[in-house]
Amino acid sequence: MASLGSFLLMAAFVAAACAVAASLSGARRGSRRLVESAVGAFYLTAALMTAASAVIVRAFLTDDYAIKYVHRYSDHLQPLFYKLTSYWGGLDGSIMFWVFLLAVFGSLAVRVNRDRHRELVPYVVAIVSAVEMFFLLMMLVHSNPFDTYLVQSPDDGQGLNPLLQNMYMVVHPPSLYIGFVGMTIPYAFGMAALITGRLDDAWLRAVRRWTMVSWLFLTLGLVLGMIWAYEELGWGGYWAWDPVENAGLLPWFTASAFLHSVIVQERRGMLKVWNVSLVVLTFFLTIFGTFMTRSGVVQSVHAFGEDRTLAWMFAVFMAALLLFSFAWILRRLPLLRPRYELESWLSREAAFVANNWILLVAALLVLFGTMFPTLSEALTGNRLTVGPPFFNRWMAPLGLLLLALTGAAPLLAWRRSTPLNLRDQFLWPVAFALAVSAGLAAFGVRVWTSLICFGLSAFVAATIVQEFVRGAKVRRQATGTDLLTAAVGLVARQRRRYGGYIVHLGIVLMFIGFAGEGFKRDEQALVKLGQQTTIHGVTLRNDGVAVTDDGQKQMVTGQIAISENGRSLGTLRPARWFYRKHENQPTTEVAIRRSLARDLYVIMPAYDLSDQSVSLQVVVNPLVNWIWTGFGILFLGTVIALLPEREQAAAAVVPAAER
Amino acid sequence: MKRKALKVGLTVLMLVLALGGLLYSALSEGTEYYAHVDEILADPGRWQGKDLQLHGFVVKDSVLRKRDSLEYRFKVQSRGAVLEATYDGIVPDTFTDECEVVLKGRLRDGEFHVAPNGVMAKCPSKYEAKRGLARPGA
Repeated sequence: MASLGSFLLMAAFVAAACAVAASLSGARRGSRRLVESAVGAFYLTAALMTAASAVIVRAFLTDDYAIKYVHRYSDHLQPLFYKLTSYWGGLDGSIMFWVFLLAVFGSLAVRVNRDRHRELVPYVVAIVSAVEMFFLLMMLVHSNPFDTYLVQSPDDGQGLNPLLQNMYMVVHPPSLYIGFVGMTIPYAFGMAALITGRLDDAWLRAVRRWTMVSWLFLTLGLVLGMIWAYEELGWGGYWAWDPVENAGLLPWFTASAFLHSVIVQERRGMLKVWNVSLVVLTFFLTIFGTFMTRSGVVQSVHAFGEDRTLAWMFAVFMAALLLFSFAWILRRLPLLRPRYELESWLSREAAFVANNWILLVAALLVLFGTMFPTLSEALTGNRLTVGPPFFNRWMAPLGLLLLALTGAAPLLAWRRSTPLNLRDQFLWPVAFALAVSAGLAAFGVRVWTSLICFGLSAFVAATIVQEFVRGAKVRRQATGTDLLTAAVGLVARQRRRYGGYIVHLGIVLMFIGFAGEGFKRDEQALVKLGQQTTIHGVTLRNDGVAVTDDGQKQMVTGQIAISENGRSLGTLRPARWFYRKHENQPTTEVAIRRSLARDLYVIMPAYDLSDQSVSLQVVVNPLVNWIWTGFGILFLGTVIALLPEREQAAAAVVPAAER
Repeated sequence: MKRKALKVGLTVLMLVLALGGLLYSALSEGTEYYAHVDEILADPGRWQGKDLQLHGFVVKDSVLRKRDSLEYRFKVQSRGAVLEATYDGIVPDTFTDECEVVLKGRLRDGEFHVAPNGVMAKCPSKYEAKRGLARPGA
């Protein structure tokens, strides 16, 4: 079966090469038949990758340990579900999964846009196929998931790492990959528009939804990663500015910037060079992130080992990509002239530009901090590192600025705002924000960053409510219904705009959750059997340690009764699990008691079975659940914004803010 | 056109200045040296008291924990050079014999004192780290 898999990968490489050659020559000669055959080869690549995926999944299901990759990431005890998901458990398979997704997405995008954007299609096919070829080549010459043991195949596999055996780890990588891979499609369309010189807004319309969907999955992937780190790793937090986390965040910044600036191009015909550059940059950062974590350029305990061949392959690919993309942008500069110039800094387009700059600076800062060890070693010979304090110091003010703009931008008018409409728009939100801040300060909140964050959150929330109420009032007059029906109708009619506001509301909730970090408390205690300890008003009593076994692992579970002010809050069960074959690497199972106000997060790092004493770490994590709730709202808002909009209907009702 | 060129020039200048200031501030505070055990032992005086990220491997059977506490003593080595280390706190799941570690802390009197939450570990023999495995230093 392994040779079949390798053969399929080779065939996919050949098909992709055919697609590149046929589409380019077809486009040059204007031959529809050649382009059609290129599209055929393109679909064929997707079919071959699907088949190759089926082969590796089958190998996992049938415990084919002759294949090295299966041997490393599976064993016969592993539940069926994890056998399936071991596909993307390691480096080689994750690259193959990447190509599979890219081939399928590319085919979908071409299928959908085949008639509407016929001129762009050959170049889209060529560019996506070229990217596929790069990854296929890497697999074939360097890390083939179908490599087999030459002499004797082992009887059983090593098993997937226990830390990866949970739901979040099943969903998190594919979600992140979908986000990463999806960004290739906007890039391909952007480049096709540059090459053909068809730089009207057609390509933007073709990729807007793709970008939004990719952005949504990228966000989902990041959030799932946070939840996983929070619940599984047991260190009490969800984000540590690790290079691998940063790699996922970098394209998120530029993609978010693009989603905003694209509105300015649609409305005002500005920022054309900027938008196409953002698309290039986003795609570049997805590749760069992969390079950073896979090649060992950035040393991190979390990154894959050093790998010079891989580093060189990536470096050449990235250099070619940048050269190719920006050469075309330079060549097409005359076609990318803006329709209007910026008239005033007190306009919505200016606020969008500011938003873009902040997001870009944030991306640069994270990139700088992540690459700092590599840079400093190259410059001074000493490997210096910066830690979370560096990132927190710089990202907190940037985040707050961005939050302020989230509220302010929709209040500003296009072109320029007059003093009168500034007063009209800002009066209530600002008053509300000040009232909330003063109230919180009087209540005793003294963590200034968090206080500012709460104030700004109140401001943004108030602006969103104001937008909804004003829009709904106009609609109520037009349709003669009540305010609530009018508000629902508003969202249904202008999905992108009001979906966007709902996304913003989710972001606000997430920021409130981040601000809760400022009030985090962390303490350790050793508790003997039957004794109790009180940490930040919560009493924890050790009711003993139980040892159980489910065949796959041995579980040592602490029984910790918790109470607050004499009122019982139930029992928390922090545990240590010892998986077979991974006995010397037990996993920490966190016990969390959740509430909207705070999470009580208990870990049992050590225990003594002879006298049933336990060491406990107790983390009080305020407002963490607001982050997950906020993400849920963001998800909902994005889905609303993604639904197709009836254009004429939207134009009929112009809300107050757009006068 | 001239005014625009001036504006762009000023913006670029400001960005360069901002980045320079950033570089300076990042270099002057909050940075840690990243070094291997053998590098440190080659010239201990140079590293004494500095904020370090020490890279090495845990020596087999060297991890000791004081009873009823979370105080650890263990040895780390790289290329044959061995250093004694102490730590008080919770170690990540991946911290075991012979695993690869990065320890944040300071060298004092020939011993490495690991800072709170300063143990980061991975075990390459067991898995390839994916997506931020092991406990990040908070």
